[in-house]
This record gives sequence, structure tokens and C-alpha cells, in this order.
Amino acid sequence: MSDTTHGPDRKERNAWFEADARLKRRHLADKRLRAYGIAAIVFALGMLATLVGTILITAAPAVTQTMVTFEVEVPEGSVDPANPSGGSYQTMLNASIARIFPDVDTPRELRELRQLFSNGGQYQLRDKILADPSLIGKTVSISFPMSDIGDQLHKGVIDRNLPPDFRRVNDTQIAWYDVLVERGQISSPLNWGLLFNADSRFPELAGLRGALVGSFFALLVCFLVSFPVGIAAAVYLEEFAPKNRLTDLIEVNINNLAAVPSIVFGLLGLAVFLNFFGMPRSAPIVGGLVLSLMTLPTIIIATRAALKAVPPSIREAAIGVGASKMQTVGHHVLPLAMPGILTGTIIGLAQALGETAPLLLIGMNAFITAAPDSMFNPSTALPTQIYIWADSPERGFTSRTSAAIIVLLGFLVCMNAIAIYMRKRFERRW
Amino acid sequence: MSAGHEAKISAAGVSVFYGEKQALFDVSIDIPARQVMAFIGPSGCGKSTFLRCINRMNDTIDICRVTGTIAIDGADIYDPKIDPVLLRARVGMVFQKPNPFPKSIYDNIAYGPRIHGVAKAGSQMDEIVETSLRRAGLWNEVKDRLREPGTGLSGGQQQRLCIARAIAVNPDVILMDEPCSALDPIATAKVEELIDELRERYTIVIVTHSMQQAARVSQKAAFFHLGNLIEVDDTERMFTNPRDQRTQDYITGRFG
Amino acid sequence: MSATSLLAIVLILSLIGYFWGRASAAGLKRGGQGMHSIPAYHGYFIALSCGIPSFLLVLIWLATQNTVIDTLLIAGLPAHITDGVETSRMSLILSEIKSIAGGRIFGTPDPALIAAAERYNALRGTASLAMVVSALAVAIAAMSYARSRVSPEFRARNSVDGILRWILIVCSILAILTTLGIILSLVIESMAFFSRVPVFEFLFGMEWSPQIAMRADQVASSGAFGAVPVFWGTIFISAIAMFVALPVGLFSAIYLVEYADKRVRSFVKPLLEILAGIPTIVYGFFAILTVAPFIRDLGTSMGLSVASNSALAAGGVMGIMLIPFISSFADDAISAVPQSMRDGAYALGATKAETVRQVLLPAALPGIVGGVLLAVSRAIGETMIVVMAAGLMAKLTANPLEGVTTVTVQIVTLLIGDTEFDSPKTLAAFGLGLVLFITTLALNIVALQVVKRYRERYE
Repeated sequence: MSDTTHGPDRKERNAWFEADARLKRRHLADKRLRAYGIAAIVFALGMLATLVGTILITAAPAVTQTMVTFEVEVPEGSVDPANPSGGSYQTMLNASIARIFPDVDTPRELRELRQLFSNGGQYQLRDKILADPSLIGKTVSISFPMSDIGDQLHKGVIDRNLPPDFRRVNDTQIAWYDVLVERGQISSPLNWGLLFNADSRFPELAGLRGALVGSFFALLVCFLVSFPVGIAAAVYLEEFAPKNRLTDLIEVNINNLAAVPSIVFGLLGLAVFLNFFGMPRSAPIVGGLVLSLMTLPTIIIATRAALKAVPPSIREAAIGVGASKMQTVGHHVLPLAMPGILTGTIIGLAQALGETAPLLLIGMNAFITAAPDSMFNPSTALPTQIYIWADSPERGFTSRTSAAIIVLLGFLVCMNAIAIYMRKRFERRW
Repeated sequence: MSAGHEAKISAAGVSVFYGEKQALFDVSIDIPARQVMAFIGPSGCGKSTFLRCINRMNDTIDICRVTGTIAIDGADIYDPKIDPVLLRARVGMVFQKPNPFPKSIYDNIAYGPRIHGVAKAGSQMDEIVETSLRRAGLWNEVKDRLREPGTGLSGGQQQRLCIARAIAVNPDVILMDEPCSALDPIATAKVEELIDELRERYTIVIVTHSMQQAARVSQKAAFFHLGNLIEVDDTERMFTNPRDQRTQDYITGRFG
Repeated sequence: MSATSLLAIVLILSLIGYFWGRASAAGLKRGGQGMHSIPAYHGYFIALSCGIPSFLLVLIWLATQNTVIDTLLIAGLPAHITDGVETSRMSLILSEIKSIAGGRIFGTPDPALIAAAERYNALRGTASLAMVVSALAVAIAAMSYARSRVSPEFRARNSVDGILRWILIVCSILAILTTLGIILSLVIESMAFFSRVPVFEFLFGMEWSPQIAMRADQVASSGAFGAVPVFWGTIFISAIAMFVALPVGLFSAIYLVEYADKRVRSFVKPLLEILAGIPTIVYGFFAILTVAPFIRDLGTSMGLSVASNSALAAGGVMGIMLIPFISSFADDAISAVPQSMRDGAYALGATKAETVRQVLLPAALPGIVGGVLLAVSRAIGETMIVVMAAGLMAKLTANPLEGVTTVTVQIVTLLIGDTEFDSPKTLAAFGLGLVLFITTLALNIVALQVVKRYRERYE
């Protein structure tokens, strides 16, 4: 730029010279802004990667569940065939554990030994006998989860090389565990319990069934209410409403409702649905109703956009052949807008599925060990279950929380993928 | 570089591609200093494309590629050592639609001098603003409202403001891309008058649709057709006695 | 009979009404009558006339039934139980009666309660029978009335259109009802709260310790409800969040719009938007799992004491959540600045950075400000991140390494678990909710106005 062979005019040459230092500074500022932009994007995407990465890594141990298999003798007379559920199954289980470790006899040692196994074993044994009472008097093989510490020992989460004071299992427990491994009694199959068990205080037994069913019911209610009502409201506002103060008010209202914090909807649900109408606490129906009020603005806004995209010529054509306004909308406009409406609805439902705060306020964070039978039974939902588990002190819940988050994110990814697919597939340019 | 004595800008073998599509074919032209050169031709003929090559505005379009050389005062402006930022300070541009920044009239004019460090704020800047507005013939209309937004002016005033904005950085060349197409006849007349005055100091290249305008303001004219430069001549001679049949057809209104 | 099966029966009745109406109209038509509307519309008319009133009746009945029964039950209780009992105790008595009625008896209840339980069961039986009878009666009466209107002149199509139009109107009014419901429930509960704790003390008091008010016999049972530390915590954490989100969001938007080529943009933009789709509970877990320990370790290694629930961790993670919010608003606003502005600046020899800083950003400012206001409103109302990662103790501190609490955290902790509806503790949550609602509403209205004005400017 400081090329002296440029034009003959002195003034110009000076301009080329003088600008030099200053110009460098200006270009440096330009490069700086570009660098800030790249840094910002790298930061944001790095955080996304860290978030997904740490969740995946912490969830990894929850993919399998360490199980232990025992041959349990069910002596004749230990279970009353008339009332098999009254048997003392824990004693039978303890006996078979003791048979493997005959030299363990002090109560303290016995207790430490039993700490390795989930106390869910006895119920599994009971269920087996209940299903087939002819097993009484025989030897039954059952396979049940190891306890939280046993599980983590197996997965290497607990480092056995640490000094004993720094780990939650002592040397004898490790020795027992090694014996079981040697005898081939330890296995680690895929952790289906995570999806198909209901909640439990013990991480090794806790699963998402209740939460999945609860979320399903809540979303069902949410869909059944917000979909028809949202479409109806949008159709009225877009196709029928006169321009007046009332419709202006409704419009402003909907835009503002979309930005009201979700917890305020929780307060509404608590005060109106639970307190005023006396609806059942913790029930998916209430959760679904609250979520539907939150989803409604999303659906209305999406539906209006979809209706707007239908060209007026379609309406004119229908009215031209003598259809009423209602018929025009019902037969022509609405079906053409439907892909857009459904896309918006799915995105709204995906938001509702991840929503936590309002569900906490209406009590859907209760500790419930059975999946709800109907939408009126107390239940948790997927996000509130994550909240409960995240709040639990047991180490085993950390990986289960992450695993539950992955389940939740999996659902969200699927829903959004469907929405994107529909938008791509049915998008129509007029 | 073959810098003719009086040629301010000389282009040789300039071709422009938008992606796969070629928009300009091998254009070579010398543009004399301190005169008005009009580019005429039917729409889509490449005259605006060529104009935007002269201050490298095409650089801001990702898919655009330019080959050939354009030299100003003998220096190739597509030389990698040339900084488009400095180039544009020497080659000002006025667009089809007036595009004042949403700032005050004063700041619109002062923007260029400020970024190029020609003047700091204060009396020196006030002077530049006044001179530029005077040269653009706008001073008397706006001197009492320099702090009001430039977007509040009428269309013709806005366009003269844009011209003043271009003058303020003291360029050698001013490119005008159909500067009057968005203006009414009275505003157009004012801008044309201004162009005629400006030629004393600046080399002006104007793209125009209107034959009359080309005839009124330009001394030289270049006729473009389908991306090719057909003919360059004195405006008067071209309009009375064109050499090429296509020029003749266009001037007499057979197409365009 | 359960309400669900009752609604199913109403639905079936409506279907019957549809076919009945269609058949009778078709009969008239076959008889050579010139009908105004086609038979199907007569069918729709009967179906709607039959279904809607009884459907509404069932809904209203279900909504009010429990309250009515409770009132009747309390009115019927003998004096020795009801005398001098507060409302909170009353609800305990009611739930005891209900559990006795459900067959879950603990200990030996008062015989009066057993009698009440029997009465409760009887009332419920009567109520549900009455509901079934009246709903069916309404359905059938409406159906026969509607049938009687089927005639060649009857404008069934217009009537059906009219009914549908009313349904549409009612649905759109639901949006207003929701807002009204929010305002009413917040205001009513807050009034109850402010009758115990003066508004002035709530808004300007410097001490917040509502948990003390849990049991009436405790010392200092009144608790302290000065919400300033809670407000401060909310503002503080939101400010930290904006401190992260604003530069990152703005710079990425500038880069994506002005610098990045198309390929990068089409790849990075959706990735950024993923951040907006992640549920806040996931961010909350991320904060306690990764960010808070990281900040604590980092602080400890520099010899600082960092709380495990530091405002920095909660605010920082919230900031990450808000990045796509800011960036997409800024992106829209910068993209909306006409190309001619860029051309104007480039033609004067401005660099990209100068064009952005001095032309595009000032022109896009209103749009960006609107987005920032909406993001602030989000930050203030955000719940799960702070519930999991911020503190419970209300503290007036400007040290981001200490824990502070927020309005939403307090609402959740005050209301979680079993709640009685008239202790100041639970009512305080509604007071906070009212403040939260008003603040976010004001921010939203201003933001939407700013954005709208801005759009008008370039359209």
C-alpha cells in the first residue's frame, strides 16, 4: 500500500502513506471482531458439547446393571402354600448367601456382607414362588441387582486401590465380591430396570416406569385440551374476528402469556385446580391441564402463522362456489394449514414434556413406587423424576439421573425430528 | 500498466462471474479524468456489474469472481496488495435508492472522514461537513437541522445527502448507479445539475437507464449489451451517429 | 357411574342425534320438500344441541361438586368438632373423614366423624347419581327440542355455523381467562398474605426467613418476610447470566450474519438453537454436576472460598441457556437492516467491523434491546436451574462466589411438599409470585412494543 509508483498526484500519494498505520489498526479491529465472534461460537458450542458429554459420561455406568445370581433353597414348610406371600424370603436368601461364605458369622460382618446386595432380592424370590407355588421345597435360581456399592465396585466407579478410608467398601467386602466374581455369580446385563421399574429409594431398583406413564398421561391431557382449543382460538382470531378492542386484547394477551414464567402457571394450577376445584394432588390430569395452558399460546401462534400462509385465493375460490365461511375454513383452509399446525403442536408438546417447575408446585414430585393406573392417580413425570433423583444423596442416583436425562433428551430429539421432517416434507410454497 | 495520459480508470479484459454464470465478457475501456462517463444499455446488460467492479463492491458478494485488470492512475486495484477499504475511500459510490444511515445529517457526512481519520470532531469536521453539503447543493436546505435524522429528508434531498457523504472523504472518482431512478423529475433535475458541477473536481461514472439523462450529463458514453461492451464514444457522437447497429437500435428505442 | 363413561354416553347420544336428524331431514327431502340445508347439517345441529349443554353441565358439576359436598359436610358436623377450629385444622378433619369414608381407619376416630364419613359417602352417591340423571335429562331434552326444529325452512347450516362460531369465540376467550385466573389467584392469595405481613415490610424488609413460621408454637413463629434479599439474589443471578449471555450471544450473531459463509451459518445456527431446546432441569443438573464443582475447585486452587451453590455457577449456567435467545434476536435484528445500509458504509471505505459497530448495531439496536429485555424476563422467571444450583439462604451479598437465593427458588421451597393454604409461609409464595408476574409482564410488554416498533420501521 505504500507503493510509491502510484499516481503522480502528491496529495493522493500522501493519502496512501498517511493511512498506513491507521489502516493497520482498523484492519486489526476488524480481525478482532471476527475473533470475538469465533470465540463466542466456540464457547457456546463448547458448552453444549461439555453438557452433552458429561451427561453421557456420567450416564454410562447406568447402561448396565450388576446382577448377582444365587441358588436359593426354599425348604418345605418355610412358606405356607395357602399364603405364599407371607414367607420369610429374606431368611432363605441370607441362608444361601451364608452358604457361600460359611466363615462369616459376626453380626457386623453379616451386615457388611448383605450391604453388597440389593434388598430387592427377597421380593423377586417371593414373586417367583407366587407365580409357581410348586417351587416350594426345591432350589430356585434367582438373579437380582447388587446394591449401589456393589454395583459401583463392579463398574470400577469405586477405586479399590484407594486406601480403605477413602472408599465406601472395605477390604473384606472387596474380597467377598472377588469370590463371587470367581464363582461366576456376577453378571452385568443391560439395565432394562431403568425403563421398566417404578421408582424406589434404592438406586439399583429405581426405574422410570412411573415417570414415563405419568408424563404420557400429562401430555395426553395437554394435547387433548390445547390442540382443539388452540386451533379454535387461532381460527377465530385469524379468520372470523372483527378488528376491535376485544380481539386486540386477546392478541396482546396471547403474546404475553407465551412469555409468562412457567412457575406462575404452577401457582395458577395450585390455587385454581387443586385449591379451588379440589382436584387430586400430584395427578397427571392436573399436570396436563397446567401444561396445556402453557402450550396453548405456542399452538395458537403456530396455527395463526400456518393459516396466514394459506393464500387468500383458496378462500375466494371456496366462497365463490357458495361455501359458507365456516365451510371454507373447515374444508379448505384448515386442511392446508394442518402440517404447519402439527409441527407447531409437536414443538409445543416437546416444550411441555421438559417443563418441570409447574409440575413441582402441583406435587408431581411425590415419591411413588408404582406407575399410575389412570390420569387421576398420583404420579411423577419424567422431568420431576429427574429432579427427585438429582436431589438424592446416593451415588448410584447420579448415573441414573444422567440416564433419565438421556431418555428425556431422546424423546425431545425424536419429537423435534418429527416436526422438522414434517416441515420439510409438507412445506408448500404458494 | 498502460495508463493513458488522461485516462483515470483503465480496464482491460474484465470478466465477471456469479457462480457459474458469466455476467460480463472481456470488457476493456478507458475512462477519462474529470469528465462524466455514462454507462447505458438495457437492464441486465452488465453496466451496474461493471460499475461495482471499479470500487470492488462485488467483493461483498460471496459467489462473485472478477478476472482481468482495472487500473486507477495506473495502479491495478485487484492487486492483492491493494486494500479495498482504501480503494473505496478514493472511489466513492452513490446508489440507486438513497441510503442515508439512520443517523443525523451531520453524522451521515462525518462518518466517512471519521473512519478514515481525515478529521477529528470539532471545527475541522464542521468545515468538511459544510463544504460537502455545499458542494452537494444541500447546505442551504439543511443547515438549520444538521442534528435531525437524515432519513427525515425528502427522496431527492436524501440522494444529495448521499452524494455529499461520498464527497466528504474527498474521492477522486464517484460512481453513481442510476442515482435518479427513485426520484421525481424535479429532484432528478437538481441531482443532474449537481453532477454537472461536480465534474470540475471528480471523475464521475454514472449508470443510467435514461437516454435523455445520459445526453444531459455525460461527455462520454459506453453502451453495454448482454454483458458485452459494444461501443465507447463521445456522448454527442454516439447519440447522433452510432457505429454499431445495436447501439442505434437501443438509442432509437427498438429495444430496452 | 364415572364421569368418563357418562361423557362417553353423552357422545353416543350426540351421534344418535346426528343420524336421527340426518335421517329425518333426508326423509323430508325424499318426500319432495325443497330443503334449505342438506340433511347432514340437520344431523350436526341435533348432535351439537344435544352434546354441548350436557358436556358443559358435567364439567361444571365436576368442578363444583367437591366444594359443595365439603361445605355440606362441615355444616352437618356437630358443634364440638367445628367450634373454634381454624380453616387449616378443618381441612385436616375433612381429609380424616374422607379417609374413613374410603375405609382407611387409623385408631379409633370420634363417632361423629364416622357418622360424617357415612354421610360423605351418601352425599357422593347422591351427587354422582344426580349428575348422571341431570346430564342425560338435559341431553335428551335438548335432542328432542332440536329434532322438533327440523323442517324444510329451518336454516340448519346457519345455525350450525353460528354454534361453531360461538365455540371458537369461547376458545379464544380462554386465553384471557387464563390471564385472569393467574391474576386473580395471585392477587387473592397475596391479599391474604398482606393482611398478615404489611406490603411495605414485604417489599422493603431486609430480613427473609420464612421457614421459622412453620409451627405456631415456635419462638418467633411470625417469621420474617422482608423480601429485599430475595429480590437482590434474583437480580444478581440474572445479571451474571446476562453478563455471560449478552456478549456471547451478540458476538456469535454478528459473526454468523456478517462474517460466516453460508455453510458455516447453516451448520452453527441450528446447533446454537439446540441450547434453547434443552429443558432447564438438564441445565440445573449440569450446574450441580459439572459447573459448580469446577468453579469451586478453580476458586479453591486460587485460595478463594467458594460456596457449592455459588451465584456464579447458577448464573453462569443460566447465561449459557440464554445465549441462543440473545443470538437469535440479534441475528434477526441485524439481518433485518437493509443491505443498502451495508453498501453505503462499504462504499465509503468502512471495514466490516466499522460497518457493524457504527451502522448495523445502531440500526438494529431496538430489536436487540427487545430481545435482551425478553431474555432478562426469562432469567428472572427461570426456576429449575436456580432451584437446583442456587442457595436457599437469602443473603445480601455482591460476591458471586457466595450463594444467594431467588424469587423462584423461594416459591418452590415454600410450596413444595404438603402445604396448608393459610400459613403466611405458603401465602408468601403467592406474594413473591405476584411480584414476579408483574415484573416479567412489564418487561414483556415493553420488549414486545420495542420489537414491534422496530419491525414497523423497516417494513
